[in-house]
Amino acid sequence: MSRKPAPATPPSVEPFWRRYRREITFLAVFLVLLGGSFTLISVQWVNDHAIEPFTAGIARVSGAVLDLLGQNVTMQGTIIRNPRFAVNIRNGCNGVEAMLIFLAAVLAFPASWRSRLLGLGLGILAIQVVNLIRVVALFLTGIYFPRLFDTSHTVIWQTLVILSGVLLWIFWANRFAAPAPAEPAA
Amino acid sequence: MARQAPARTVRGSWAGRLIRNILLWIVPVWLVWMALTPLYNRFLATAGENLLLMAESPNVTDLLVQGAHTAHIQRRDFPPSRSLVRSIRVTDLHFHLVLLATLFLAVPGVPWRERLSNLAWAVLIAIFFHLLLLFFWVKFVYATQLGSWSVAHYGPVARNLFGLGKHLLDLPFKLSLPLVLWAAFYIGRMLEELRGESSA
Repeated sequence: MSRKPAPATPPSVEPFWRRYRREITFLAVFLVLLGGSFTLISVQWVNDHAIEPFTAGIARVSGAVLDLLGQNVTMQGTIIRNPRFAVNIRNGCNGVEAMLIFLAAVLAFPASWRSRLLGLGLGILAIQVVNLIRVVALFLTGIYFPRLFDTSHTVIWQTLVILSGVLLWIFWANRFAAPAPAEPAA
Repeated sequence: MARQAPARTVRGSWAGRLIRNILLWIVPVWLVWMALTPLYNRFLATAGENLLLMAESPNVTDLLVQGAHTAHIQRRDFPPSRSLVRSIRVTDLHFHLVLLATLFLAVPGVPWRERLSNLAWAVLIAIFFHLLLLFFWVKFVYATQLGSWSVAHYGPVARNLFGLGKHLLDLPFKLSLPLVLWAAFYIGRMLEELRGESSA
């Protein structure tokens, strides 16, 4: 009895998983890391012992920059104030969201651990610099253009901070995380 | 002797063109989004209200649009002096559309028809996301923001569900949705392009 050879699978009916393996892997790792990290920072203890002190540090640095610009601000925890305006830096304004999105994107992308660590170090620093500019700019917007504050606060600056994270990720992927060439089909 | 790989410059590479296109597209996309926002806010409020009515009995929630950016949550079963329970800035739910459309329009080397078709799918998914986010926003207000009324009408599980759900949808998933959808359509192409350049 002879066995018939199995018919070759045409490329059009290639299994969904094999066809979109790279997309599915990236998205699954990205979403798990993102959901996990944001659930973690929503735990009260983590918020009180890690996020709040970190945010207070951002407030101190922002206050120092505003002082250099002649604003004579005082700081109280996460609040920056002067006689004309006050802001309270809260979750969503401390750059942590952009950092975690960047972190998840870098870790989900196929690259060596050395490239990932380099990307995380430089990327997180760059995102915090952009966020510092955001806090200072928002404080000045509140003083000089108060009508624009709401739109500036959410729509403009959140978009710019996330955009900076996405651009940094593309730059990192291109410059430091070149994926190995695909193996030839067997 | 091993051949040295040519140094990759960002400017000439696929990724460099992508970054350049993103920077070129963002302002025109922003202007279009700003022009369409009042109309889209009205649509979201109406559709969101219908979604909420499907999930409650008796039907008591109204979402009243005020101005170009805001909607008031009104409960018809509350006394008139307290019936407006909270305002939502509806524009804040969907400003990530700017980044989403910019990313989809900026991909180099993709025919316009395919680019627009992918963008249309992504926007459609985003619209469902906005409705879900608006639903969670209102439920979050009901479950956690109305003091003793919230405690009397929502148990601990529901309060945590709507609290965490709103937190996750409103921050990480809203902010990362453009990248997630872009990656779903284009991460494979990106990897191929980068591999092609690194092996050239």
